[in-house]
Amino acid sequence: MLVMPPNKVMTAAEAVTRFVRPGNVLGMGGQNIGRCPMALTHEIIRQRVGGLTVVGCNLSLSMDQLAAAGLIRRTECGTGNLERFGTTFCWRRGIENGTIEIEDYSHLAMVSRFLAGEMGLPFMPVRSLLGSDILWAPDGAPKPGKAVITENPWDPAERVVLVRALQPDVSIVHAQRADPLGNVIIEGFATHEPEMTRASRHVIVSCEELVSTDEIRAHPERTTIPFMYVHAVVVQRYGAFPTSTYAYYDYDGGQIGAYQDAARTGSPAIDEYLRRHVWECATFDDYLRQATDGDRLMALTKAMQELI
Amino acid sequence: MAPETTHAAAFSRQELMVIEAARQLRDGDVVFVGTGLPMLATTLAQRTHAPNVVMVIESGVIAPQVRPTPISVSDPKAMYRAMKLGTLREVLGCLLQRGLIDVGFVGGAQIDRYANINSTQIGPPGAMKRRLPGSGGANDMASHCRRLLIITHHEKRRFPERCDYVTSPGFLDGPGGRARVGLNPDFAVTVVTDLAVMENDPRTYALRIVRLMPGITVEDVHVETGFRPDVAPDLREVPPPDAEVLDRLRHDVDPGRVYLKSEDAVPTAGR
Repeated sequence: MLVMPPNKVMTAAEAVTRFVRPGNVLGMGGQNIGRCPMALTHEIIRQRVGGLTVVGCNLSLSMDQLAAAGLIRRTECGTGNLERFGTTFCWRRGIENGTIEIEDYSHLAMVSRFLAGEMGLPFMPVRSLLGSDILWAPDGAPKPGKAVITENPWDPAERVVLVRALQPDVSIVHAQRADPLGNVIIEGFATHEPEMTRASRHVIVSCEELVSTDEIRAHPERTTIPFMYVHAVVVQRYGAFPTSTYAYYDYDGGQIGAYQDAARTGSPAIDEYLRRHVWECATFDDYLRQATDGDRLMALTKAMQELI
Repeated sequence: MAPETTHAAAFSRQELMVIEAARQLRDGDVVFVGTGLPMLATTLAQRTHAPNVVMVIESGVIAPQVRPTPISVSDPKAMYRAMKLGTLREVLGCLLQRGLIDVGFVGGAQIDRYANINSTQIGPPGAMKRRLPGSGGANDMASHCRRLLIITHHEKRRFPERCDYVTSPGFLDGPGGRARVGLNPDFAVTVVTDLAVMENDPRTYALRIVRLMPGITVEDVHVETGFRPDVAPDLREVPPPDAEVLDRLRHDVDPGRVYLKSEDAVPTAGR
């Protein structure tokens, strides 16, 4: 029996307290410098929810800030980097000093794991990874369980790699719009998020704008993720800042660069960054007031409008 | 002496590298492309000899008309006037793995004799010295494209005899390597650098020098390569840029010189 769910609108603090637990497998939305769920990430850091396994395709700024706060035990992903802004330095340092475990996949292999997860299947075949060292564990030994090479039962000459389904305990995504029931509209590029969110046990969505359910019903084809997958809706303007939100605002290169400078240096610069921008801010709005101003945010909005 | 009208007077080696990479694309090619120099070269091809090149970007972008100068696959400049903004699965699965991409175009990390690519780590598995970003979509491109185009600065540490870690498969250990592991053996690799163009030898599958940048010798390439590439029998020089192409690159494709560095011009005296 499907009971219409209650109003899921809550603060980031409530959503993280209710749905993100120490040791969780955390699905990360966004890609590179686009639509990273920064407000939700800051809240996880503020509440110091640790021991996380962070999963996604490209992991960038939000994942690296979790790494900077020492909250990541392991990642499973295709890449960690910020392209022109450099690599994800805290993540790299964690892998190199052994505090972060890593399981590598290609981006297609990761999205195929979410695809299996969202369809209730135990695994998915891919034709990537064959012949590469990604098939093996970081120590170079064959690793049963990560990937299985098998033949196509209908054409034994054809080989495929089976990758395991991945169902995150909770995923965090920043979207353009959502209604109080948790119907989510993602505009523009959608990366791995449709598959990942539908595979997740819990989903927290932050959004630029809250819309009415009538508006969702008026244009149902625009709904990217229907309400049954979503557990919390957090309304947060500029919730992906300093990364961009398609159709709303461009990325802020200066602020991404400021984080990268601290991340590259490491302790104590990075601790100071988190103290100032996260721990000393009660909310994400406090961070926005501290890191930027209305003129700057308006300029980023205008820059985006010129590009679409 | 009257200036040449068809050839630009001065150009950098990096500019010619991008122009030479653009020349590798044929009109109508569907190209899966990363940011940086691959996107620059693909945009240049679209604006010169190959207006019908279709760009596909892994964040889910299909057929954009890129505005200068995107610095990320999620940069809205890379999405300008796209025909579809979709998902990663749509482009990596439903186009690339499905076999609908003609050319995969990547920037380099480590590339070895058999065109295997390492973008995961320096140091072999179990003895990592430096962690790199990882595969991203590169393994998928090398696994599924029939043609892989690589653009990279030419230096010895980037061209080892054998990659520490094979992130993306080239020809693996040589003839028959791809077929043995179940990859499509119908595969060709072109590497464009600031010193030379290398392609796999159709018989041995090892990379060999097919073109040299102006003023560069085979010996210069050998000094900057960790293995000893053979030289193709029809070795030629990379032609200098057409003035209009150079102008497009500088003024339309990367006017802010985000990726194009300020470099000394290639000496052309006596040419």
